[in-house]
Amino acid sequence: MKKTFLYLGFLLLIVFPIMQSCTEPIEIELDNSYARLIVYGEISTDTTVHKIRLNRSADYFYNLPAEGVSGAIIRISDGVQEITLSESVTEPGSYQTESNYYGVPGRSYSLTINNVDINRDGTSETYSASSELPFMAAPDSIKLNYANYPFFTGSEILLFAKDPAETEDFYAFKVVKNGIQQTDSLPEIFVQNDLLFNGNYTNGVSVQFLDDDKPGEKVSPGDTIVFEMYGITAGYYNFIVQAQTELFGSNPLFSGPPANITTNLTNGALGFFAGVNIRRAGVIAPESN
Amino acid sequence: MRLILILSLLFSVVSSEAKPISNDEPQKSFSVSGYIKDATTGEVLIAASVYIKELGSGTVTNPYGFYSIGLNKGTYTLGVSYIGYNTFEQKLDLNGDLILNIELTPEARQLEEVVISSVKKNNNVSSLETGTSQLQIESIRRIPAFMGEVDVIKAIQLLPGVAVTSEGSSGFSVRGGASDQNLILLDEATVYNASHLIGFFSVFNNDAIKDAKLYKGDIPASAGGRLSSLLEVRMKDGNSKNFSATGGIGSISSRLTLEGPIIKDKTSFLISGRRMYADIFLPLAKNKDLKNNKLHFYDLNAKVNHIINDNNRIFISGYAGRDVFKNEFAGMDYGNNTITLRWNHLFSKRLFSNFSFIRANYDYELGTQAERPDGFEWKSNLEDHSVKADFTYYLSPGNIIKFGGATTYHHFLPGSARGTGSESLFSEFVLPDNFALEHGIYALSENKIGKNLSVKYGLRMSIFQNVGKATVYNFDEDYNSIDSTVYESLDFYNSFSGLEPRLGITYMLGEYTSIKASYARTRQYIQLAQNSTAGTPLDIWFSASKNIKPQVSDQISLGLFRNFAENSIETSIEAYYKKMTNTIDFKDHAALLLNPKLEGETRIGESWSGGVEFLVTLNLQKLNGWVGYTLSRTERTIKGINNNKPYAAPYDKPHNISVVLNYPITKNLHAGANWVYSTGNPVTFPTGRYEILGAVLPIYSERNAYRMPDYHRLDLSLTYSKPPKANKKWQSEWNFSLYNAYGRHNAWAINFVQDENDPNITKAELTYLFSYIPSITYNFKF
Repeated sequence: MKKTFLYLGFLLLIVFPIMQSCTEPIEIELDNSYARLIVYGEISTDTTVHKIRLNRSADYFYNLPAEGVSGAIIRISDGVQEITLSESVTEPGSYQTESNYYGVPGRSYSLTINNVDINRDGTSETYSASSELPFMAAPDSIKLNYANYPFFTGSEILLFAKDPAETEDFYAFKVVKNGIQQTDSLPEIFVQNDLLFNGNYTNGVSVQFLDDDKPGEKVSPGDTIVFEMYGITAGYYNFIVQAQTELFGSNPLFSGPPANITTNLTNGALGFFAGVNIRRAGVIAPESN
Repeated sequence: MRLILILSLLFSVVSSEAKPISNDEPQKSFSVSGYIKDATTGEVLIAASVYIKELGSGTVTNPYGFYSIGLNKGTYTLGVSYIGYNTFEQKLDLNGDLILNIELTPEARQLEEVVISSVKKNNNVSSLETGTSQLQIESIRRIPAFMGEVDVIKAIQLLPGVAVTSEGSSGFSVRGGASDQNLILLDEATVYNASHLIGFFSVFNNDAIKDAKLYKGDIPASAGGRLSSLLEVRMKDGNSKNFSATGGIGSISSRLTLEGPIIKDKTSFLISGRRMYADIFLPLAKNKDLKNNKLHFYDLNAKVNHIINDNNRIFISGYAGRDVFKNEFAGMDYGNNTITLRWNHLFSKRLFSNFSFIRANYDYELGTQAERPDGFEWKSNLEDHSVKADFTYYLSPGNIIKFGGATTYHHFLPGSARGTGSESLFSEFVLPDNFALEHGIYALSENKIGKNLSVKYGLRMSIFQNVGKATVYNFDEDYNSIDSTVYESLDFYNSFSGLEPRLGITYMLGEYTSIKASYARTRQYIQLAQNSTAGTPLDIWFSASKNIKPQVSDQISLGLFRNFAENSIETSIEAYYKKMTNTIDFKDHAALLLNPKLEGETRIGESWSGGVEFLVTLNLQKLNGWVGYTLSRTERTIKGINNNKPYAAPYDKPHNISVVLNYPITKNLHAGANWVYSTGNPVTFPTGRYEILGAVLPIYSERNAYRMPDYHRLDLSLTYSKPPKANKKWQSEWNFSLYNAYGRHNAWAINFVQDENDPNITKAELTYLFSYIPSITYNFKF
C-alpha cells in the first residue's frame, strides 16, 4: 500500500515540475501544548542490551534536543520473568536491560513505568504498554541489484522469502553495511503488510535501498551487506506508517486530515513499545556490482 | 406494489391541483406551442422567454427549446425574447391550437456582454428560482482562464455560494457541501469525475457545450441523488443550417469541433475533440528522467439529433475522455464515458415528454512495470444504466405541471489488484462488486396566483435498494468488524426510501423587486470515499448500505431581488441555512482504497451550513460582469472525530469574494479581469512535538483549529477579434491571458519540516503551485 503511494509519488513528480510548484518558508504562530511522556523501545529476539527511551514532549517550535526523563522505574515482564531496567549514566532518559536479555517469539511483553511526574504536580504517574513478539520465519536469501530510478541511484536489496499463508503478517526491513546500520532514521525503514501477497514467495522483490548519494551508503565490491527482516505487530506497523506519513508531509490531493500517531501507551503517553522478531540474510557485494 | 401506490398518490396530488384552475376557466382553451431556435445555427434556445403581452405572463422554453401556452379564444400578441437576440413579436388570432416555431436572429452586436444571463429582462426577479445561475458558454469565454483553457467549472467556482476545494482543483463546494454532493450532469448523464489532470481542467470542452445551469439550493423535484447542488451541462445539438467548424490552438491543448446538417433543418451532428499535450514539452525538460513521460488528456463529444416530425425528435449524445500519465516505472489513466439516448414526444400540444436511456461510467487503471516481481495493475470501475421519463403539462400560462420518474442501476467495482510479472509476488486481490438500484418519482406544479404571487411545490420520492450478490461486514459499536453476511444474487437485502418535498414562493413587489423563499429536502445515497480536500482520481464511490445511512439535507433560503437602471443592474441578497444529517467523515488515518471494510472507516454525524450571498450583476452598455460576496459558516459534529466536538468543515471559508469584469476597449479588443479572495481553508497544525529515532513528530491541535493564509488572485485577459472580412466566413481571435497577475504565492499546502543542518529546529514551509502563468490561445470559426 505504502509502495503504491510511492509510485503515485513518481507520477506526481511528472506533473509538478511542469506546474512549477515551489516551497518557501512561512511564519506561523502556534499555540502551546502541554507536556506528555514519550516512550520508545523495542524488545527483539537478539541477545543484547535493549533500550527504552523516555522523553518529555515540547511545544512545536521548541527547537532543542528532546529532554530525557530521569529517575523512572521501568519493569518489563514477558509472563515468565520480570526485569527492572537501569538508567544509563551517560544518557539520561535511556533505560537498559542486561546484555544477555532477549525476547521470545509468541510471548507478550508488558512495560510498566513508575515514578514519573510529567505534569509536575508533585504526584507521580504510572504508564504501561504491552506488545506481542510475533513469530516469523527467516528469509531464504537476498541479492543486490544496481538500479537507476528517477531520483534514486544505488543498490537495491532483492528479497527471497516465503510469507506464511495462515497468518496476517507485518514486516519492517533494514539494511546493515559492514556492521553499520544504514537504516538509521524513521523514514528509511520499509514496512509492508502481506495484504496483497499472503502466502506467496517474494521472488526477489525490492525491499531496501543503499543510496549512492547518501554518505557511507554506496556499495563497493567486497562489502558485507546484511539484510534485517523484522516481524512486527499490526500496531507497530501502523505506528511506523503513520509516523512516516506525517514526516512525508501533506498535500490537498493525497492527504487526509493530519492526526496524532497512534500509540500503545496508556495514560496519555505517546510513542511505542514493540516486540520485534529479527531474522537476517547476508551477501558479499560482488565485483561487478 | 409499494411503488405503484406511491405513484398513484403523487398523481392524485397533481390532479387535485389541476381541478380548481380548470374550474376558473370554463371557456374552451387552445394552445400555442413550438420550438424557439437560433436562425443561424438552428440550435434550440433554452429558457428563452415567451410571453403574451395582453396577459402580462408567459413561459420559458424547456431544455429542448419547446414552449406551450394554453390560451382562450381571442387575439393576442406573442413575444419571444432571449439575451443577445432580436426580440420577436407576432399578433395571434387564436381559434384553434397553433404551432409556432420561431427562429430568432442574433443581435448584430457581439455577445461579449452578459455573463450571468437574465433571460427575460427581469427574469432574475420574477422567476420561481432561488439560488440558481445559468451560464451561457459564449459569456464564459470572456473570463480569463487558467492556461487559456476556458472552463465551465472554473466559471461556476466564481459564483457566490460556491467555494473552490483547493487551488487548481475542479472540485467545488456549494453552500458548505462536500464536492461529492454536487450532481454533475452532461446531457443528463452523471459525470462522476469532472476533472482532468488532477483538477487543473474540467472535462467540459467549451466548444461542444451550449449551456450550464447551477442549482444551489432550490434543486427541482425532477432531480435528486445529491445533497448540495445540481449542475446541468448541455451539449450543443449541432448546426442544422450550415456546416461549420470551430477550433483553437492553445499553449497546452488544441480543439476542433465540426457540426452541420445531415438533412437540413431535420438532422444535424456535432463532433468535438480536444487534446491536451503537456507531454510534447517534456523532451525540453532539464531532468532527463522526464523526457520519456506521457502526460495528456483528451475529450471527445459527439451528438446527432433528428427531427422525425412535429411531435417526435430523437437525440444521441456521447462523451469519452481520458487522462494518461505514464513514465518508465508506473502509469495511470482514468476517464468518464457517457452515452444518452433521448426521445422527445408530444402527446398533445400541451403534454411534452422526454424519455432517456443513459449510460455513465468512470474507471481508472494504475500499474507499474509489468515484469518486476512487484509489478501490479489495479483497476476500479463504476457504471450506471438509467431510464428516465419526464412529462411537462402546460395547463395555462400560469400553471405548469411536471412529473416523471427515473431508475438507475449502479454497478460498483471498487477495486481489484493483481500482480503482472511471471514471478509475481502478488496474489489477485479483488474487492467484491456492489450492485444497487436507485429510483425516483416526482411531481411538481408551478402556479401563478394573481398578479404578484407565484408558487412552486413538488414532491420527490426516492428509493434506494442494495442488491446481491454482496458480502456485507457487520461492525460493533467501535467499528471493529465482527463477521460478515453473504447475500445471493438478486437478493434485495436492504432498502431506504424517503420523501423529498421542494417548495418555492416568489412575491413581486413591483416590476423590479421581489422576495423569494424556498425549502428543499434532498437525500443522497452514494458518496465518494475521499479524505483529502482536493481528492484524487483514485477516490471511489460507495453506496448507502446496512452500515451507511443515506445523507439527508434540509435547506431553507430567503432572497431579496432588485433590479436597477432598466434591469441593467441586477442585485440580490440570499440567505440560506441547511442542516445535514448522516454526514460522513472518516476516522483518523483512514484507509479508503482496496479496503474491503471501508464502511468501518466512516464516522457519522451532523453538519450545518448557513450564509448570506450578495450578488451584483452588471449588464451595462460596455461594462459587464458581476461582483459576489458570500459570508458563511459550515460546521460538522461527528462522533469519533475531534473528541466529538464541532469543527470547521473542510471547505468552510467564511469570506469569499469574486469580481468578474469585462470591458470592450474597442470594437475588436476586449479586456477581462477577475479577482478572487477567500479566507484560507481550515487546517490542523501541530502544537507539540516529540522525538522518535531522531525524527520530530507532531502532536496536533484540535481538528481544523487553524487557517491557511487568505487566498487571493487576479487574472487578466485580452481578446483581439480580427475584423471579419466581407464575404468570408472565417472568423478568428487571439486571446492572451495572465493567471495570478500579481504572482501571489497562495498556499496550496503548509508543512512542518526539520532543518537540514540542525534537526532540532523545525520550521513551517508553504507550498504554492503557481506564480503568474501567461498563455496564448488562437480561436477560429468558419
